[in-house]
Amino acid sequence: MDCERPAEDHGTRQNGGAGEGGEAAGAESEGDRERSREPRVNISLVGGTPLLWRAGDIRRVREEDGVVGALVGSLARQPRQNVRLGRPLEILQEEASLLLQRGRAAVQHTHNQEDEESHVKAVEAYQSRLEHSYEEQCVLALEDKKAVLQRVMNAKQNDHTCDEGTEQAMRERLSSLQKGFTLPRSAMAVQLCTARAGFGHCPEEAAFLAADWPMPRDERSETRFRVYRDLRGRGFYLTAAGKFGGDYLVYPGDPLRFHAHFIALCLSMDEQLPLCDVLAVARLGSNVKKTVLLCSPRDSGVEGEVVYSSLQWSGMV
Amino acid sequence: MATKQAHAEAARAERSEELLSPSELFHARSRSHKIPVRGQKEFLPTGSEQQKTHLQKSLQEHWTLVAEERVERLGNLVNAEWIPEEKLVKLQSPAGKFWQTMGFSHCGKQCLLPEEALYLMECGNVQVFYQDLPLSIQEGYERFLSPETVTLHQYQVFGHLKRLGYVVNRFDPSTVPSLYERQLNLPLSRDRQNKQLKRKRSHSPGSRSCEKQTSIPQEDTAVGPCEDVLTGEPHQTIQSKKEQDEPMDSGSHVDRAPERNWWTAASSQSRSMTGLPAALPWDFRLISFPDLGSSRAARTCLAAPDPELLPGALQVGECKMASWLTKLNLKEEKLSRRERERQRERDRYKRSVNDDREVRRCTNWAEYLELMKKRRRQRCKERPAHLWEKDVTPLSQPGLCTSHRELLEEVSIIQSSHLLEEASKLPQLDQWRIIFNVYQPDTVADFKKSHPGNPYTRMCVCSFDGPVPDLRVMKQLSFQSADIPVTFAVVDHGDISFYCFKEFKLPSDFY
Repeated sequence: MDCERPAEDHGTRQNGGAGEGGEAAGAESEGDRERSREPRVNISLVGGTPLLWRAGDIRRVREEDGVVGALVGSLARQPRQNVRLGRPLEILQEEASLLLQRGRAAVQHTHNQEDEESHVKAVEAYQSRLEHSYEEQCVLALEDKKAVLQRVMNAKQNDHTCDEGTEQAMRERLSSLQKGFTLPRSAMAVQLCTARAGFGHCPEEAAFLAADWPMPRDERSETRFRVYRDLRGRGFYLTAAGKFGGDYLVYPGDPLRFHAHFIALCLSMDEQLPLCDVLAVARLGSNVKKTVLLCSPRDSGVEGEVVYSSLQWSGMV
Repeated sequence: MATKQAHAEAARAERSEELLSPSELFHARSRSHKIPVRGQKEFLPTGSEQQKTHLQKSLQEHWTLVAEERVERLGNLVNAEWIPEEKLVKLQSPAGKFWQTMGFSHCGKQCLLPEEALYLMECGNVQVFYQDLPLSIQEGYERFLSPETVTLHQYQVFGHLKRLGYVVNRFDPSTVPSLYERQLNLPLSRDRQNKQLKRKRSHSPGSRSCEKQTSIPQEDTAVGPCEDVLTGEPHQTIQSKKEQDEPMDSGSHVDRAPERNWWTAASSQSRSMTGLPAALPWDFRLISFPDLGSSRAARTCLAAPDPELLPGALQVGECKMASWLTKLNLKEEKLSRRERERQRERDRYKRSVNDDREVRRCTNWAEYLELMKKRRRQRCKERPAHLWEKDVTPLSQPGLCTSHRELLEEVSIIQSSHLLEEASKLPQLDQWRIIFNVYQPDTVADFKKSHPGNPYTRMCVCSFDGPVPDLRVMKQLSFQSADIPVTFAVVDHGDISFYCFKEFKLPSDFY
């Protein structure tokens, strides 16, 4: 059921007629109304870092917005290793800004004020849910056990080796199972929710305004943001490039299958860069088989246009 | 209004999607624990069918992994409760295997620090409740992580190391013995070690500065009035020579340790007698150690020790020293032939200050300095004016250095400095602090929380957005960490890289 969801979303958006690209100016209101019907992506902030928690959200932003991010939690399936990690997904400030600007996401605010009554209700709901789950699991466990016994009996019958006595014993066990079986409570399976659960006690309020965003809009983050938006608009996938001394790693396709081609370095037009820094980053780029891009947004004129210069090590023989 | 409602509904639907039904829960018990392997990456998307199917397959596996929820048997879960006022998690059922390396007892209750609880939640070992409802991992992140406990970045480093099997606990500066205590080879006072088990809030700056002070006097005493008369003004060089020798010195301190173990025995004995832990670590500025050899003539009587230093009911009065002094061995030291030879060798090049009659005639420091000045003036007269009377003067004087090594030391203007030099005097910076002690995975089997021993390394967490640690920070952190190396964990959007700075001495090729 999880796979159908994105397709649905696509459908609604196309009907609304607002493409991702051309919504900067006019069709805002209509597009907004259209989008509000599809669930927004929830961004949760921990110490100013934007995190995504729900698997559906993570998938949607990857497929529709090309937001890759980095998984930073322990993997549910095998928590004690670092090779594959699990939720939450940490995304870049620029990715969060862009999602908010397009009205695709909302920042989740939690506040602790809650009335006594709703809390009591929530606890009751949780308890009854647990009880219900236990009862149902008892039934399932019994069926499971019976099925196993049945299988053994069938196997023995097929073998034609068993005598009347053993088959009788099997039947007796089956009937006693029916009567006296209880699943010990400690064997009940419970879920440890990753994202905030439905029965959670803090009612959340989604803020839709990008103005709530805590990121300070200084020149550097503005530069980074414009470069991000431009590269993303050209269809590249971007991730953080701190380990390569740059701002973004630029991938030609989904990073799951493709290597990055570029290391993007965001510089405003007038920013001066010492020559040794340029040399260092170019050298590093060629060592990891990537091209270094110096990316500077144009001062004015065409909004969003960025000038790219590539640095490459050229061997003269 | 309507859109808001619609959104809320959609959100609710979404949420319930992540809540598993009883049958899903039941069948999750037998799901696979294998992690799919990622194949080789490709260079360029060519749009070929094969590439597409590969990508689809990888993505499908990826989404399955990401969407998977934690399902545990109720019996395998340890229940706990989040106490926001105390910023810790109290266990409500007996702890599991993790208790060997995590948690602490507080007022008879088993407790976990927020980062430990969060990690164990992620591992599916602990279920934390708050107001009778279980907390999701998300709520754990949002509630447990704060500047007062640990930040998200610090937790990411903690989790990374824990997943690799390291034992990680919070660093408490008060558990590091001061330089002075280490040199005396004093045992860590018991209550100090206990304190490490107890909970540690953010470090109080008060206790730290106090510790620093105790170590300052020691450094000062290292520079005694042992000047070499011949070299005129060698105060500086002697000091630096001493510091260069320091590594060796501290080594010999350790060798000397057994002589001092009367102190260990006495202290542990006294404590076991009273059964009470000492209230405070000793302040060595206020405790005098009697020196019986040199002040023989001056004193016949030893003052009573401060009663605070004595255990319970024990009473110690003044001590008459006359009888003890007769027992002191005051005979002249006898040297073996080898030692005598060595001394002669030394004496051939060096003269003790005490051999100088004029120096001996000086009755105080001022007179001595005056004498030195006078001699310098005398010497200046013999020097050629064109060399010595201008701003730039030779670094060495003819006839002063008797060996190649001495000459090289004289002409080296920039002395190599030791990382810990003067570090004790630097003011504390808030931005940088050591946060975790890290112990290697292979020590887990016999790791004891009460006696953790020396950590493998200590962690300081920073990010690429912040500044690079400068020399001042390095000095401070390595001073704080004593002889344990400090590693910097740099967090960048989920990537963690570890760096450490190593002190390096340039080889010098004299001889």
